[in-house]
Amino acid sequence: MKLKAMKYRLGDQTKLSNLKKGQKAKVVFLNTENKALRRRLLDMGITEGVQIKVKKIAPLGDPIDIEVRGYELCLRKSDMSLIDVEVIS
Amino acid sequence: MRIALVGNQNSGKTTLFNLLTGTNQKIGNWPGVTIERKVGAIRGTDFEIVDLPGIYSLSPYSLEEEISTKFLFEENVDLILNIIDSTSIERSLYLTTQLLELKIPMIIALNMSDIADKRGIHIDLTTLENRLDTTIISISALKKTNVFNLIQYIKMGDYRKNYYQHVYDHDLEDYIEKIKNITTSKHPRFLAVKLIEDDPLFTDYQTEQTKKLVKEISSKYLRDMEQVIADERYRYIENIRDEAVTAKHDQMTWTDRIDNVLLHRVFAIPIFVIVMFSVYYLAAGPIGQFTVNFVGHYVRIFSDWTRALLIDFGASSWSVSLVVDGMIAGVGAILNFLPQLAILFLLISLLETTGYMSRIAFFLDRVFQKVGLSGKSLIPFIIGSGCSIPAIMSARTINDETEKRMTIMLTPFIPCSAKLPIITLFAGYFFGRNSGWVSASLYFFAIAVIFLSAVIMKKYWFKGKVSSFILELPDYKIPNFKFVVFDVFDKVKAFIQQAGSIILLASIGVWFLISFSWTLQYGIDAEYSILASLGKVLAWIFYPMLGTYSWGAAVSAIQGLVAKEQIVASMAIIAGYSDQTSQGLLIFGSTAFAFFTPASAYAFMVFNLFSAPCIGAIGAMHKELGTTKKMWQAVFFQTGMAWVLAVIVYQIGHLIEVIL
Repeated sequence: MKLKAMKYRLGDQTKLSNLKKGQKAKVVFLNTENKALRRRLLDMGITEGVQIKVKKIAPLGDPIDIEVRGYELCLRKSDMSLIDVEVIS
Repeated sequence: MRIALVGNQNSGKTTLFNLLTGTNQKIGNWPGVTIERKVGAIRGTDFEIVDLPGIYSLSPYSLEEEISTKFLFEENVDLILNIIDSTSIERSLYLTTQLLELKIPMIIALNMSDIADKRGIHIDLTTLENRLDTTIISISALKKTNVFNLIQYIKMGDYRKNYYQHVYDHDLEDYIEKIKNITTSKHPRFLAVKLIEDDPLFTDYQTEQTKKLVKEISSKYLRDMEQVIADERYRYIENIRDEAVTAKHDQMTWTDRIDNVLLHRVFAIPIFVIVMFSVYYLAAGPIGQFTVNFVGHYVRIFSDWTRALLIDFGASSWSVSLVVDGMIAGVGAILNFLPQLAILFLLISLLETTGYMSRIAFFLDRVFQKVGLSGKSLIPFIIGSGCSIPAIMSARTINDETEKRMTIMLTPFIPCSAKLPIITLFAGYFFGRNSGWVSASLYFFAIAVIFLSAVIMKKYWFKGKVSSFILELPDYKIPNFKFVVFDVFDKVKAFIQQAGSIILLASIGVWFLISFSWTLQYGIDAEYSILASLGKVLAWIFYPMLGTYSWGAAVSAIQGLVAKEQIVASMAIIAGYSDQTSQGLLIFGSTAFAFFTPASAYAFMVFNLFSAPCIGAIGAMHKELGTTKKMWQAVFFQTGMAWVLAVIVYQIGHLIEVIL
């Protein structure tokens, strides 16, 4: 039997892509090597310290819609795995 | 005076532009509708207003942002009108902080203030004005609230001239000052920040001295300066937000409720299928068919009436033939499809303005990702069912170069509205009661061809490369009736203009070529016409998909390059039944086209649907792909694909026909 994916709790550090729907986290670090991608994420408000909430997950599991700075942004899981976060709830 | 209208994608910028100028522009509720900059004059003034593309930042990484940055930095702009979506003020102010650095006088229009109110977002205008030292007006472009005041402000020149405050920390501000002092520019502060960011658009402005200073400051932070600057900007914005904005958090909005259904894990895809199916049921299916027959009836009456009238006036037989068999037959064949197209344009417009289009891109991204495209490719594909030209242009919002190029090359595979007449004609005649399913099957065929082509391209053409998908999910909006009607009206008008100009000329041309022989004899049998001899040279190309040499089919297909609807017009003229335009029975009853069987009919549709698009769309591809070579690659790829598929379809279909 496949193990159920672990749920991260308050204070845990993980990748943004590991969060479940409804969870909140604070961005700790952007691991993006690709300059254009990093700039795009920064421009959209994903800076270190910002609070993010996972809002909607596409029916096929990817991409994921997050709430950041009062609006909604869709990102692919592969890009979200480059964002380190600290879980808030 | 020249005013630049700048704002985020989906901030209501185009709506405001239309209100200010009184013209009607393209409006949609998916990010990035303004694909080219538009210019207009503000009502009642001679102030020029330039509508720049919707952007989130003045960064160098997307074409639209590059265009906007260059325009603001290089051109003479007297006033910036920065439109902000009140419901996402924090992100919007990020662009504002960059615009303020240009030191161009600026007015901020706080749009969608009514929606923000309803959501419990309160913005203290006075505090915001003081902090940004800019004139701010709260408006609702959709409800036209306060737009008149905005125009008054602009007219009177009665706005605060922003004397910019410190945004960054002390070290950074110091270095900005230092760099400002050793560069010359109209916008010194803006340039200094760009040099520190090491923006590739501004490398020409770097000198030994500036490079030295940038290196110094970088060594202090030990981080990428682009990131430091973005962090600092947002820190500054957070401070302003804390002072000026109060918002209720974590409440369920209407958008969330609707998304719970439309983006539901199980129901999302079935709902999407139903929506798309209804679109084609209404446009291409029975309802569309009904309107075609309805208009066709009146075109026929008009045609008979004209013929009788001209003969009464004693017109010569060739001139009657020119008007009735050439002009009315050709143009009439196209006008039959007008209501059908209006339905299609209306439905696409609704998908765009409600915000559902962005959702489709979001939940189907996963599928498109697999073949090297992104969910954003879907937007050009859906618009492409109306017309390939705006669809190809809308591919600009795709940031990744490879994805963009693939999307542009694949968009013409989607049957556009001009190809609808071909589908309606063939499917209606050969597949009778199943015509609805046959029409639908062609769209599925198109989707399959797109996936197949994408896989081939990714494998042999554009290898490797992973891309990303970053898309704002806008709130749902109730479409504005007036804008939707205008949008449809504009597209229908463009179609009529096309029928009245290009199609009319082409029809006269075809009539001439089919009515005369090489020795300019009139009244000959079509078999001996100039057109027939030209067609015979090309007929072999179509032999493997038709099972016969048909000069009529060959010349008609070639004319698809002029405009796809011209194929039907040409067939109607060649069939020679001008008094019964585009009635399938009479086209396929004529000796020229009697050879068609369901298999060759389907194959011929496949060829015409997937081969090189019309000249207009080829032009759009050329412009967006950038080089003539890439354009030819696309044209040959499409035509080659179409030919191979058509031949396969005919050969298999023919086999089935023989067996049955």
